[in-house]
Amino acid sequence: MDLFGNKTNRIQKKNVSDIQDGSFSANAFDIPFGSNCVRLSGCEWLAVGIIFLALFYLGPMLWGRSERIEPELDYRLPYELSNDYWLYNRYCRWAWSRYETLVIGDSVIWGHYVSEHNTLPHYLNEITGRNQFANMGVDGIHPAALEGLLRYYGQAISGKNVILHLNPLWMSSSKHDLQIEKEFHFNHPGLVPQFVPKIPCYKVPYSKRISAIVERYVPFFSWASHLKIAYFENMDLPTWTIEHPYANPLKAVTLVLRISGNHNQNEHISWAERGIAKEDFPWVRLETSLQWNFFQRSIEILRKRGNRIFVLLGPFNEHMLKGESIETYRKMKIEIAAWLQRENIAYYEPAALPSEFYYDASHPLSEGYAMLAKQICENRPFGSSILRSSSNFATPNRD
Amino acid sequence: MLFHTWPFVLFFLIVYPTYLALKGTRFRLVFLLAASYFFYGWFNPLYLVLIFYSSVLDYIVVARMAKSRRRKMWLSISIVNNIGLMGFFKYGGFVTENLNFLLSSLGVTYTIPAPGILLPVGISFYTLQSMSYVIDYYRGNIERENSFIRYATFVSFFPRLVAGPIERAKNLLAQLHNKSTFSKEDISDGLSLFIVGFFKKVALADYMALYVDKVYDAPEQFQSPALILATFLFCWQIYFDFSGYTDMARGVARMMGLRLMLNFNNPYLATGLGDFWSRWHISLSSWFKDYVYIPLGGNRKGTFNTYRNMFLTMVISGLWHGAAWTFVIWGTVHALGRFLTRELERTSFYKEKVPKIIKQLLVFLFVTFTWIFFRAESITDAWVIVTRIFNSGLANPHCPLLALAFIFAVWSYQFVYESKIKWVLELRAVRIVILVLMVLYLSIFAASSEQPFIYIRF
Repeated sequence: MDLFGNKTNRIQKKNVSDIQDGSFSANAFDIPFGSNCVRLSGCEWLAVGIIFLALFYLGPMLWGRSERIEPELDYRLPYELSNDYWLYNRYCRWAWSRYETLVIGDSVIWGHYVSEHNTLPHYLNEITGRNQFANMGVDGIHPAALEGLLRYYGQAISGKNVILHLNPLWMSSSKHDLQIEKEFHFNHPGLVPQFVPKIPCYKVPYSKRISAIVERYVPFFSWASHLKIAYFENMDLPTWTIEHPYANPLKAVTLVLRISGNHNQNEHISWAERGIAKEDFPWVRLETSLQWNFFQRSIEILRKRGNRIFVLLGPFNEHMLKGESIETYRKMKIEIAAWLQRENIAYYEPAALPSEFYYDASHPLSEGYAMLAKQICENRPFGSSILRSSSNFATPNRD
Repeated sequence: MLFHTWPFVLFFLIVYPTYLALKGTRFRLVFLLAASYFFYGWFNPLYLVLIFYSSVLDYIVVARMAKSRRRKMWLSISIVNNIGLMGFFKYGGFVTENLNFLLSSLGVTYTIPAPGILLPVGISFYTLQSMSYVIDYYRGNIERENSFIRYATFVSFFPRLVAGPIERAKNLLAQLHNKSTFSKEDISDGLSLFIVGFFKKVALADYMALYVDKVYDAPEQFQSPALILATFLFCWQIYFDFSGYTDMARGVARMMGLRLMLNFNNPYLATGLGDFWSRWHISLSSWFKDYVYIPLGGNRKGTFNTYRNMFLTMVISGLWHGAAWTFVIWGTVHALGRFLTRELERTSFYKEKVPKIIKQLLVFLFVTFTWIFFRAESITDAWVIVTRIFNSGLANPHCPLLALAFIFAVWSYQFVYESKIKWVLELRAVRIVILVLMVLYLSIFAASSEQPFIYIRF
């Protein structure tokens, strides 16, 4: 009988009668399985497990073969795909087979305010006369995230020459250094350590942290993220269908990746023209800096993988500094240089570019990149550590 | 800690093997109780004080009842305590708010301060369960439980702790006595239940919620088609959400060799409102039948009293869901619907002449309509939705076709399940393909959901 004394359906009636029986016999626990037929035996679960494992392994692999990367000259990962680490991993493998030297860093390397034909790797290629420098920059990748990117998705670049850029901006305040206690959203949270070492401003639920860890170790999940980022505008499918209610999701999966466009291109307006005032940056101390610590870890990872490393320190827009921050910054640079020397790592610490060649505190404009590339190529440690190690070394074009 | 989140997966990966290792030993229950308390304390450690107090009190009440002639007094203590707990934590704010409204209507300037108490997760569920044990013992339907550990485990058993099913001592407590009910089939059955529930929650319920929340958060901005579709989607959202939770709870329990009761049985295929309530939240419906409707007199004291009892039971049931007038209206509308259809459903015309599909459609439409009051943020919002459904334009609702396709697929599945061609769904290949597709969809496309279950807040 139901709530109001009507006949109940067959399953429930049996259930109720069993329970009302009052005995504690095994029959009393013969409760209906459910109201569907999706009930698998042990063997059937085994079959599901095998099918699923095969899909888990083969899916991303087959996808990688059907979705081709055909980077054009001066290719860089599209801005919209900055969080697509599965694609970055594929790009690493591709770059490993095509380039002698990989230029790694944040948006300064990627070229946030310039076109792909005006970036540092482009000018390095132009000056050296060979297409041997790959733009492996990722927009917004601060040292803490870069360490994760190299550790979990950058295994394929082992043994290569690496120009590793250190952007001092990430140490310009406690917030940039991720040291403040108040939670705030920073770039690439999925790449930073989720539990240890603790990042004070990173306060997401455990569930998200564990998801991030699982994604690093199971390529299937990073591939699933790739689908969302590359074809569904960085949304999961349900959210995408809310935005595109009548669109066919299968049609969105075109197997054609975006080319390396840049919506932020804004080439010839300097920071001064934009009206940005000078600042007294509250630099963090190097010995307590999280970002510096992560940068050191990145170097350690690359070393262990047999990479020949060349560190590019800056050039930070010193014209923007005022007050004590100029001195503090210079002291910090000296400390960094001392550490690199101690560790026997080739590096170049360029002087600040002319003020009008900066877009902001750290991003050069295209003229700035050209000048920087020229300076780098004239740098002796660079010539000895990077250019000479290339068997196909070509004489730099000094024009 | 919710079933569809990683912390639960880790929790279960630790708890389950340990439980299996302790299965045949006397430590099994102690471990199960500790795991359940850890699970509950994860939400808020303070909740543990409450559940422990509730368990201790009802355990002592029954122990005293066994030795005392004043059984009714002990029963009253338990009922007052349980209802008092629920009333204080769940309805404190609601009562204060309404008293303040009344005072201001009478011109009194004094305002009673709002209690500002956090509603402990699952209190509505474990309180009813604990109360049923005391009442069943009082009625002589069950034996007294001597072990406090076993009784506390019965009250706090983690799979069903926060949103049911509301178990009876006859079923769950009895199983906790039994050490040998575990089999390999329990693992495969439990896993099947869990995956289906997981899919219902993460792939379906949370998907529907995206559209429903958008519309119901600002109903005045939407026109008739969007409001109708949002209500239709909510109808399925709440089913997928709650039955998904139940499936996962039953799955987890089943893997541990314990069988929780069936709580949902394709309710949207009901052919009458009575039938609907025998398929929807079965554990609550049967609880209210046994402990409210029947004690009120049930259908034994004439037509008027029967309807009065039905009405009271439905309104109390509505209020159980939440401390808001919208829930009272929801219960009342269901009671009125039952009044109007009870006699009709008994006629031979309705039974024999009206096609089954028409009956199912009518029940579905009525139930869907009532969900407006359940989901709306306030009575004003509910009224806005109802009036705008009939008195607004026909603007494009922009409802995702994929969501409708999912609902169509599930509804069709359920129709086939209750038809003569159910055997199609029982084919091994069909079952395996469905399961593989569900897991694949969850792995690739579903949102990394952390949406809480709707019924947890009750």
